Amino acid sequence: MELLINNLGHGFAVALTVNNILFCLLGCLIGTAIGVLPGIGPVATISLLLPITFGQPATTAIIMLAGIYYGAQYGGSTTAILLNLPGEVSSVVTTLEGYKMARNGRAGAALTIAALGSFFAGTCATILVAASGPLLTSVALSFGPADYFSLMLLGLIISAVLAQGSVLKSIGMVVLGVALGLVGTDVQTGQQRFTFGVPELSDGVGFVSLAMGMFGIAEIILNLERPEQRSVLAAKVGSLFLTKEEFRRAVPSVLRGTLVGSMLGILPGGGAALSSFASYMMERKMSRGRHEFGNGAIEGVAGPESANNAASQTSFIPLLTLGIPANAVMALMVGALIIQGIQPGPRMVEAQPDLFWGLIASMWIGNLMLLVINLPMIGMWVKLLQVPYKYLYPSILVFCAIGVYSISNNVFDVYQTVLFGFVGYIFSKLKMEPAPLLIGFVLGPMMEEHLRRAMLLSRGDVMVFVERPISASMLAIGAVAMIAMMLPSLRKGKDKALAE
Amino acid sequence: MRFAGTTRRRSVIVGLSALAVLGQPALAQAWPAQPIRVVVPYAPGGTTDLVARLVAQGLGERLGQPIIIENRPGAGAMVGSEFVARAAPDGYTLVMSNIASHAISPSLYPANTVRYNAVRDFTHVALLTSNPSVWVAHNGSGITDLATLRTRAAAGQGLDVASSGAGSSNHMLIVQLAQLAGITLHHIPFRGAGPAMTAVIAGQVPLMSDSLPSAAAHIRGGSVRAIAMSSARRHATFPDVATFREQGLDLVGDSWFGLSGPAGMPAAIVTRLNSEIRALLDTADMRARYAEFGGTPGALDADGYTRFVTEEFARWAPVVRASGAEAG
Repeated sequence: MELLINNLGHGFAVALTVNNILFCLLGCLIGTAIGVLPGIGPVATISLLLPITFGQPATTAIIMLAGIYYGAQYGGSTTAILLNLPGEVSSVVTTLEGYKMARNGRAGAALTIAALGSFFAGTCATILVAASGPLLTSVALSFGPADYFSLMLLGLIISAVLAQGSVLKSIGMVVLGVALGLVGTDVQTGQQRFTFGVPELSDGVGFVSLAMGMFGIAEIILNLERPEQRSVLAAKVGSLFLTKEEFRRAVPSVLRGTLVGSMLGILPGGGAALSSFASYMMERKMSRGRHEFGNGAIEGVAGPESANNAASQTSFIPLLTLGIPANAVMALMVGALIIQGIQPGPRMVEAQPDLFWGLIASMWIGNLMLLVINLPMIGMWVKLLQVPYKYLYPSILVFCAIGVYSISNNVFDVYQTVLFGFVGYIFSKLKMEPAPLLIGFVLGPMMEEHLRRAMLLSRGDVMVFVERPISASMLAIGAVAMIAMMLPSLRKGKDKALAE
Repeated sequence: MRFAGTTRRRSVIVGLSALAVLGQPALAQAWPAQPIRVVVPYAPGGTTDLVARLVAQGLGERLGQPIIIENRPGAGAMVGSEFVARAAPDGYTLVMSNIASHAISPSLYPANTVRYNAVRDFTHVALLTSNPSVWVAHNGSGITDLATLRTRAAAGQGLDVASSGAGSSNHMLIVQLAQLAGITLHHIPFRGAGPAMTAVIAGQVPLMSDSLPSAAAHIRGGSVRAIAMSSARRHATFPDVATFREQGLDLVGDSWFGLSGPAGMPAAIVTRLNSEIRALLDTADMRARYAEFGGTPGALDADGYTRFVTEEFARWAPVVRASGAEAG
């Protein structure tokens, strides 16, 4: 404990130099800005800004890049809540209740709880990283392919709970999502699947194109169709602050979200992506406001937002202790370090204590800065809704197009987005929810990859899924969830809940 | 940001004007009059991206124009390569040519999706770096060298070997090693070197064939054990690691990265670029950077690099077929 305090003290001494604070602030500002702009993600931004960091010491460079990374996470929830535009996997869930809250005139409250929840979760997760990073690494390493498969399967089974209407339709959407996820190069054989000879499809359908199209663009078409609802939305901005009741309801959700996010974030194989889904499902089943889900329940924003921020902090653990980046943003940070002459690896804690502890301290400082930047700006963001829609929607479309194009500098992605926009519009006419589709799209390919790898390693023996304790317990929970869903008494309860 | 339509129109105009002044030294003297774009056919963060960024800064200073890195990933590096093959050969659009885009992918993907010839459709300018692969083993696996690897593979039902992906150069090395040594190796592909290395550290897979730059820190940190290097001679940064050749197996194969432009680039520009790149790679700073991640700076002239690409293309085609990996 004393050692931890000493180390953290050292970290704060490193992070609190004027130069490092300025770069942390700069990173947070840029991150928030690109997070708010739909489609422009941290990967494109960091790769553009990388040359700026060459002139700075390695610690400063990493502090700034980390600021952009979690700044973008913060900013991303703003567009998800206000405009139904999820730019990242994690903010898909935020749109579900957040956008409904905005339509009810509670946009300010949704943004406030997102910021407060994220800050609390970020603080807890940072302490966790500092206190037990190396210990948690061994937990992550004990997850084999069979365990990942069972975890993802559990996620898919429970995702049927996400359905707001018919269970059959939502299972259909999950399956369609899995099918879309199969497009591209087969990981095991290199075979092209469903690419129709289009080279752009060989790396699969783009997540951002799919999410932007299905949610954002489809929503714009729907809004243009019904002018009367738009004006209601514009008129009702409502109070920016949380009511006492809202605050009381959100607290337990934030706590649960923080716990779930911190745990799942440690897993390098897509744990962070799962965290906000997992938290949403939990809130929907456990929170006091579960009857309001589907109509703008604050728990549905507070839980997932806390979870995804906690996960984005703990997902630094594999990078800091093993030297293995958990996602594309961290791969870029590794690149930045190598250019600086530092090889991130298992010995980084001992070899680069300034970098390691400085980064951890700056994570917390960055979270604090984001809170300070974001809270006063909520009023401004909410005013965005009062911009006449005839000006707002063309600008959204332009930013979406630029953002999607910037992902791989290819117009194909823009066409893809347009196509998914129309598909999403048709789906909403058919009352089919796009959220289960996106979950299938994200989890399906990962599940397949781990399933086949597990089978390859076990030489085709399926027993591996029940022999491993982690995998077996996931499957057991999944089975219980399935049985619970099929029990008629519980089904009735669910229908009643949805009817309210 | 330029869209495909305008680029193509522009390339026709530039192509015509280039024809008009072809052979006049004025063109080369004026070059570079605008920023140079280097297309990295991968997403940001990988080795190709890293090598490009390492060189871009210094080269930009030497040429007096900034070099802009543009990531155009897709189809085993073929999307970005095709884009450059079709650009104007004016020296302002270049691609990071590499073992995947110009030696393996064209044989791996079905003929109708390969829309360029890796040799004829490019002006190959300079080799930037090459690096060996290194085979690493899980610390508790009991595999310490090629001999124990062979014994273990022969005793059981073969051995599992991880790689960064199906069709990667490291996958091809696994295929070649199994052929040469006459043993059974089960290829376990991952999405990228990071997840594969995690599986080896955790002991889920006992072995991995990895590029030296991505494995270097893990070998130094002791989280995995290096058992053999695919270079012809021992590597200066890792003198303790024996080569495959020393251990009695004729397996040599480096992965490489270079700069190429569209076919028909003016000779004066090619010569200038090649000499600036070689001068840059020869500076103490660059040598030190390369040594850290295990790369060897390239020292070929443009003709030499063109021959090199031609040979590599011919060398890997039969291995790709033998691997059974296909993207078609």
